[in-house]
Amino acid sequence: MSGLAGTGLVAGDLYLLAHDDVSGRVFLQPRALGLGLAGALLAELVLSGHLAVRGGEFGIAGAAPPGDVLARQVLGVLAGERERHPVADWLTFLAVTAPGQVALRLARAGYLTRAVSRRPWRDGRWVPADPDAAFAPVIRVAAVLAPARRGTAADVTLAGLAVACGLGSRLLPYGPAGSRGRLDAAVRQLHPDLGEVISQVQAAVDSALLAHRV
Amino acid sequence: MSAVRTSRARQGSVSRALARDRLGLPAVLFFVLAGVAPLTVAAGVIPTAYAATGLTGIPAAFLVIAVILGVFAAGYVAMARRIRNAGAFYAFVAQGLGRAAGVAAALVALLAYSCLQVGLYGALGPAAASEAAAHLGVHLPWWAWALAGWAVIAVLGQCRVDITGRVLGVLLTGEIGVVLGETVLGLAHPAGGHLSFAALSPAGLTSAGAGTFGVLAVVAVLGFVGFEQAPVLGEEARNAGRTVPAATYLALGLIAVVYAGVSWAMAARAGAGQVVAAAGREGPGLLFGLGGSGVLSLMAQVLFLTSLFAAALAFHNTTWRYAFALGREHVLPAALGRTGGNNIPRAASLLQSGTALAVIVFYAVTGGNPMLRMFFDLGTAGGFGVMVLLAVTSVAVTAFFARRTQGENAWQTRAAPAIAAVLLTGIVVLAVRNYAALLGVAPGDPAAWEFPASYALVAAGGLGWGLVLKARRPDLYAVIGLGARAVTAATRVSR
Repeated sequence: MSGLAGTGLVAGDLYLLAHDDVSGRVFLQPRALGLGLAGALLAELVLSGHLAVRGGEFGIAGAAPPGDVLARQVLGVLAGERERHPVADWLTFLAVTAPGQVALRLARAGYLTRAVSRRPWRDGRWVPADPDAAFAPVIRVAAVLAPARRGTAADVTLAGLAVACGLGSRLLPYGPAGSRGRLDAAVRQLHPDLGEVISQVQAAVDSALLAHRV
Repeated sequence: MSAVRTSRARQGSVSRALARDRLGLPAVLFFVLAGVAPLTVAAGVIPTAYAATGLTGIPAAFLVIAVILGVFAAGYVAMARRIRNAGAFYAFVAQGLGRAAGVAAALVALLAYSCLQVGLYGALGPAAASEAAAHLGVHLPWWAWALAGWAVIAVLGQCRVDITGRVLGVLLTGEIGVVLGETVLGLAHPAGGHLSFAALSPAGLTSAGAGTFGVLAVVAVLGFVGFEQAPVLGEEARNAGRTVPAATYLALGLIAVVYAGVSWAMAARAGAGQVVAAAGREGPGLLFGLGGSGVLSLMAQVLFLTSLFAAALAFHNTTWRYAFALGREHVLPAALGRTGGNNIPRAASLLQSGTALAVIVFYAVTGGNPMLRMFFDLGTAGGFGVMVLLAVTSVAVTAFFARRTQGENAWQTRAAPAIAAVLLTGIVVLAVRNYAALLGVAPGDPAAWEFPASYALVAAGGLGWGLVLKARRPDLYAVIGLGARAVTAATRVSR
């Protein structure tokens, strides 16, 4: 565990942001969580230079495979697909499996443990192993929201994705007044590929909500 | 790989998984019918319409309006293939007639759906009060029950997004079954022992002059409200190009048969000369009594309550979705386009709950018959608003396809939208000129012009606001009507 600076990975931190740091209760509807984490996994690959967005679709770049197992797995799915799909379709596709995959990666790194449900017919659920470590991503996002600070691209991407999938009401109060506007401005400064992933997540979550499917 | 060769067999695993996740025709049809709320119309709207308008051409009106809406739907679903947007009416108007007109249409839609939603409390209250008095011995005024229903919906709106499809499906199936059962029993026992087909004759549409049709059309359109919802699921439906049109036409056909049948059964059971007086006397009892006072009648009464509640919740959700989408596009304050915990659009939901509370209190304080003055007046106001939207949308569809030559056939893109535009505009004019007859008030009554005028005011305001945005915020203006996609388009514009 890397202490109180967050997991260092966008999807892992987004997962922790989306769940209560003590009980592990989720703050998002399942589909919004899936779309957010799918966007985060793709954003990790964009940040590491393995993916680029060209004309609304992903293009694979970089010869050396990613070090992270899950990132390698996601990149493998993208590389192995013969048909071409827009970013929005990849989000919908990966949204189904992303929460489970990210939780497993967090568990392997020691952030989550499996709690047995009190009701025997229900599956166990993931709870944070250490509430302080689980809260750390909130501090990471709050730093982006502070006027004097400039977050890294990964920090801004994390904050942008979190707001896009519906965590704004949970996170923005940690920043000073005007945080929303500052975050929007910071997201606009990001590399266009990251901006595209964030806005596609936002559009997918909105559209699911409007189509009665969240 | 060419598009032709991408057959199902050659589809990649991603395409197959995406298709599995999407909704089939039954799911889309159920979604559309759930918003239609058959028993609310059969027990609420139809008897009240007989009583308020004094007209007996209602069964024929359902059939004729179904045909006109079928013509409208040809262009509507053709455009839905091109424009995927959850707020279909205003998106189509924005694309066809310009974004400022789109803003006007959006506000008209918001007012119309809001009227429909709030009006339902005017039926829910009295229906719950009479059931509670008859079966539980609880005697409370209608507004107490209306407020109780309001409170449940306000809370549901704040803590969860929708009631599950399965619950709605069971209720809906029960409703349609009960309405069909009552219809068959009513037709089997006509007044005087002889079944008359006069109620289905087109002659009834103009019984008191051409204006009669305008009045009847509003009532019929009110019954059909909800059929226009299939394009909302455009992005979620499997093979949307076929599923959305199929669900729209199936819903239209089914609703037409069910409503024409049940309103005919009422006229047959009471006798064509007596149905207006009977409706005034019995209200929803006109439906419940069709098959006598047995189990079916009791089921109908219980399901009427659940139908009203489900309809109020469904329209609550439709209304906040409109407000949310407009907030997202910054046409309305951005706060309406934000969500709280669990992705719940708290502000948009609260806005509708607040409006409903104010209206319930207003009618409770001013008195008057809630079934007539609140349920029917606001319901028909909503139906009238939807009719205006249908007319404007068909003009927009005509204009949209006039600028494009390739694609769908000429019936769908040229003839049908133009015919629908002429017919629906004519009906709107007739309805405005005969609004007093619709409400059953004297021609000079303020209510007869207040409702149409409020739409004109809102539309003018929307048009003006659209033009202000065009001049002052061209960035926001550029993405009006794109719905959830506004945000991705905006990032491209800003680059």
